[in-house]
Amino acid sequence: MPITDLLADFGVLPLRAIAFQSLLLMVAIALEALVLRQRLRLGYQTSMQYAATLNLLATSLGWLLFLTLDSLLPPDLHTQIISYVLFNRFYVNYWVDKIPVLVVMAGIIAFFATFWIKLQGLNLLLLLLGHGAISAEGEGQPESRQERYTMARQGQSGNQRGGYSPYTLAVLEANAVSFSVILILLLLQQVAGVRS
Amino acid sequence: MTFIDLLRNLYARLTDFFLPDRYFSWQTVIYMGLFSWLMSLIARGMGTTEFTVMLLATCGWFFLALGAGWFVEAAHIKPFGIPIASWVSGAIICVFLFGTLTDSWLQPALATWPLISFLVVAVPDLFGWDFQPKPVPPAVRQKLILLFFLSLLFSMWFQFYFRIQTWLDQYPSLASDDLHQSAFVYRLPGQPAPVAAGVSQLSTAETILQGELGSKPWSSAERWLANIDGQRQYLQQEINKIHGHSSREAPMWRLGMPRPVSLGDGYILNLLAIWEGPSAHQYGYYLEKTCEVMPVSRGNSVSRGDGEEETSSTSTLTAWTSLQCDLETPRYAGPPPS
Repeated sequence: MPITDLLADFGVLPLRAIAFQSLLLMVAIALEALVLRQRLRLGYQTSMQYAATLNLLATSLGWLLFLTLDSLLPPDLHTQIISYVLFNRFYVNYWVDKIPVLVVMAGIIAFFATFWIKLQGLNLLLLLLGHGAISAEGEGQPESRQERYTMARQGQSGNQRGGYSPYTLAVLEANAVSFSVILILLLLQQVAGVRS
Repeated sequence: MTFIDLLRNLYARLTDFFLPDRYFSWQTVIYMGLFSWLMSLIARGMGTTEFTVMLLATCGWFFLALGAGWFVEAAHIKPFGIPIASWVSGAIICVFLFGTLTDSWLQPALATWPLISFLVVAVPDLFGWDFQPKPVPPAVRQKLILLFFLSLLFSMWFQFYFRIQTWLDQYPSLASDDLHQSAFVYRLPGQPAPVAAGVSQLSTAETILQGELGSKPWSSAERWLANIDGQRQYLQQEINKIHGHSSREAPMWRLGMPRPVSLGDGYILNLLAIWEGPSAHQYGYYLEKTCEVMPVSRGNSVSRGDGEEETSSTSTLTAWTSLQCDLETPRYAGPPPS
């Protein structure tokens, strides 16, 4: 019986959250590495390392924010979060009509917050690795005459990018791709959860 | 002969294991740890200052952590190809750091374990033997940054686990519900789900009912049952007095008492404990305790000897009340019957 007692002491484990988060992280890192590699012309390994670092940074900060907010929220909203974590549904109370709006707003805020954190993270990472900070523009631009011609023929030029550095655009695109895929995966998981 | 050889072989292996060829090995470090620990015991016995004992004990733990990590590294113990040497060292350091704090040391120890293990990996890369910061090549820097955020994530997972336990302490009845739908948590199989707080509230209600109805005249019981809404409020107040302060979930329980249904001479009275909090069922659930309120003729009660003669002589049958409740409180999904 001691084994059973020990297991009973563990109580309820967040194993599904850990498994699902690992899956989402792997998908996000792989996709973002692809985008970074194409946009910034980095090597396979470098883009993978950058994407992994940025996503782990954003995820850890997200957890930190969640654990802090959880203790600060009004009790009625707090129990709604508990309800979602434990039972995968919201229950009927004062907040239940406002939750869809709140979720969509939180999603939009999360997107831009993650984008900002990833951009600052990339900046800091490049500084720490001794590559120098991201300059406003110029870096990553096609160097050779030939490439500049091809870009001009396709109607693209540095000015049409609106003066944003290629790093900003790359991180924005990477973030958009990973958020879209994660959203699809979350919806699929929700549908599967309702069916079973 | 072969037995002697076997013994000799064993002896050679043991001496090899405990007495290494070189001084620069994990055995030396472990022995230093044991020595420090022994010295701290002696120091304690000699009644030296607390500081000396603590210093020696700290050295002992430090050497133990270092030696254990080194041993795991040297013995190539890598379950599933994962190097765990730093985790072993980190665990020993965490147990030492937080083991001295007696109450609930497990939570800070587990939450900081990944970060301490990261430090165990990072410090040799960042500092030389003379504790001077040494130049770190960019590849190692990248590896360390990645490792730091990974250990931060592990630490957050541990903290999430403890946060869930806090929730279940604050709202204990949540754990009695079905957790299969959750996308976050998993209850290890074979664990009994705890009992919902509504069960004990229903027992309290039954006790109060026994006092109100049991062995009272049947006419007063019928009068009591006629004003069922008022009685429900009264019972709710009494239950709140007893259970109201026990946890944060108390306001989520509501007592329900539908109008009694007549059965023969008496009534069926249902007591409901209605859960209005988070639940696996879309419309919540309620627990039901079924009670039978029956008139019994006074002759059945043995306690009153002289009353019995009076009753039989006057032949006016005055009935008394008996209240019998089921022990089980089955759980029904959905909104309660109004």
